Amino acid sequence: MTLKPSPSNSCRYGGCTLTGALSVTTHVRDAVTVVHGSKGCTHHNFSLLHATSLDNDVPVIPNLVSTGLSETDIIFGGEQALDRTLDSVLRDDPGVVFVLSTCVVDIIGDDVRMVCGKERGVPVIPVPTAGFLGGTFQDGVNKALIALAGMAEGSTANKARTVDNKERASVNIIGEKNLEFEINENYAEVTRLLSSIGIPVNIRFVHDLSSAQIPSLGAARVNILRDPALVPVGEYLKKRFKTPYISSFPLGLSGTPAFIKTVADVCGVDCRDAVAEEQVLQAETLAAFADLEGATVSFENALVDPSAVPAAKKLARALDLHIKKNGRPVPVPTTPPIGVAGTRRMLHRWRRAIHA
Amino acid sequence: MVMKQIALYGKGGIGKSTTSANLSAALSLQGLDILQIGCDPKRDSTRMLMHGSFIPTVMDLVRERGDAAISLPEIVYSGFNGVRCVEAGGPEPGVGCAGRGIIATFQLLEKFGALTGDVIVYDVLGDVVCGGFAMPMREGYAQEIYLVTSGELMSLYAANNICKAINRLSSRVKSKCRLAGVICNAKNQPREEELVAEFARRVNSSLVQFIPRDRVVQVAELNRQTVIEFDPGSAQAEHYRVLARRVMENTRFTIPTPLEIDDLEALAVEFM
Repeated sequence: MTLKPSPSNSCRYGGCTLTGALSVTTHVRDAVTVVHGSKGCTHHNFSLLHATSLDNDVPVIPNLVSTGLSETDIIFGGEQALDRTLDSVLRDDPGVVFVLSTCVVDIIGDDVRMVCGKERGVPVIPVPTAGFLGGTFQDGVNKALIALAGMAEGSTANKARTVDNKERASVNIIGEKNLEFEINENYAEVTRLLSSIGIPVNIRFVHDLSSAQIPSLGAARVNILRDPALVPVGEYLKKRFKTPYISSFPLGLSGTPAFIKTVADVCGVDCRDAVAEEQVLQAETLAAFADLEGATVSFENALVDPSAVPAAKKLARALDLHIKKNGRPVPVPTTPPIGVAGTRRMLHRWRRAIHA
Repeated sequence: MVMKQIALYGKGGIGKSTTSANLSAALSLQGLDILQIGCDPKRDSTRMLMHGSFIPTVMDLVRERGDAAISLPEIVYSGFNGVRCVEAGGPEPGVGCAGRGIIATFQLLEKFGALTGDVIVYDVLGDVVCGGFAMPMREGYAQEIYLVTSGELMSLYAANNICKAINRLSSRVKSKCRLAGVICNAKNQPREEELVAEFARRVNSSLVQFIPRDRVVQVAELNRQTVIEFDPGSAQAEHYRVLARRVMENTRFTIPTPLEIDDLEALAVEFM
């Protein structure tokens, strides 16, 4: 969940709108992302995306091209430089091109939408991402997702497929955090819960996606948002495709039965067995960490999303831990743990800290 | 003598270019080496000094070839009585960043060592709309700013706004930029000279020269000349020569005290 930037922690929670949008567009496999601005914006983001993916053990070479604006382009306007770059990018036959703007081109007022509107035979999708207008990293993510969703609109083939597929209930996963270390574990936890009620995933919007999959965006029975910061995207999709949304992945242990019930209700399937099994699993999980009972802990949470703390406290109480200022510091993950699997990983870390 | 650098600012259409060109012409007739730099994408500041021709602008050349391939003689043109003329130029209306164009022009002129002579006259576009157009006031370029205004409220309003910019810039430690005076380019309103003189006093400056409205200005322009060249015996030419003398003798350089809009309006009402 993204917070309003505040003076004390704006470097942590504000972020660059462009980077947010890039964390989405670079996960469309056959896409090229053109960053319209001076070349440093591209270089810096390339490094960040590449280094983060290496750190997460899923190396991605982000497919970025800069329009490389010089002082002369700034004085006379950068539209021609964008036009030239688009022509050269299209020679490599991408499935789709995204054009992300930077601060400087919005300061001088380049008409990016107009340049992107020129017919080129391949979709060229502008995403306005000038950060000085007050947007955060999350705004960049949301804008990119909404721009991509625009590709799914209006095609008749898509409408037919939408009707077909809605017969068979499936879900979309919306706005996974492509830069987070546990992205695939979190996805696996959600699919575990979904498969317990026999519901498949339609598409991961957007994680390792092909542009050809985007038109099926409207085919899911429900959209599952990664976290509530994506509500504007959920609302947009609801308006466009009449698809309802669930505003977050299940948080902590208590989130999973509720999650199963909500999805099952929307999809019209029976979930009684699945919920009962899930409750057994929860009891087993707590039992597996019974050795922690009675320990005195404190939370290390300097950079943590505040919503992660109540989840951690709830879990500590369930395990009969005492929370005291001078207790043994245990780590709280930056974002709340997702489901049973996320909770388990956190508890393993607590155990290490308590027994250290 | 120490090189003098002056800049003329004022509302669009108030007569900055006409005043600058005639001032440069008059100064050159005192035997001084003058460089006039037009800092407006409209590029018409030096046209009368160049007998009606639009000289290639610095930004035109940068656009065509990039700044590496440009040489000094391609951007400095000799006009009336040897006045050297430069036009900054800029982007087409409605695109890009003209302010950055001014900054780039100054950097290029600096690189060429072009900013020489006895007097440099900077003729700057309408209003100080952004940091780029304040460039002539910054970095120790123009140290003496003249406001060109008539007695019309909107023109005084623009002049007052420019006082704000000068005030802000002159408070910087190393800034040498000061308000040198107000030039009244009259619209022939009643009590106009008194009004502009009082305005000048209130902003902590003084009226340097009152230039009445005279048809000879238009006639000279139609003949593609400054008044100084077209009709040196006219009263109007004498006004410009007096202005030139006063500019050279001027020693009163102040930090302006801009007026609140209500006070400015009240002032205009007083002289209605």
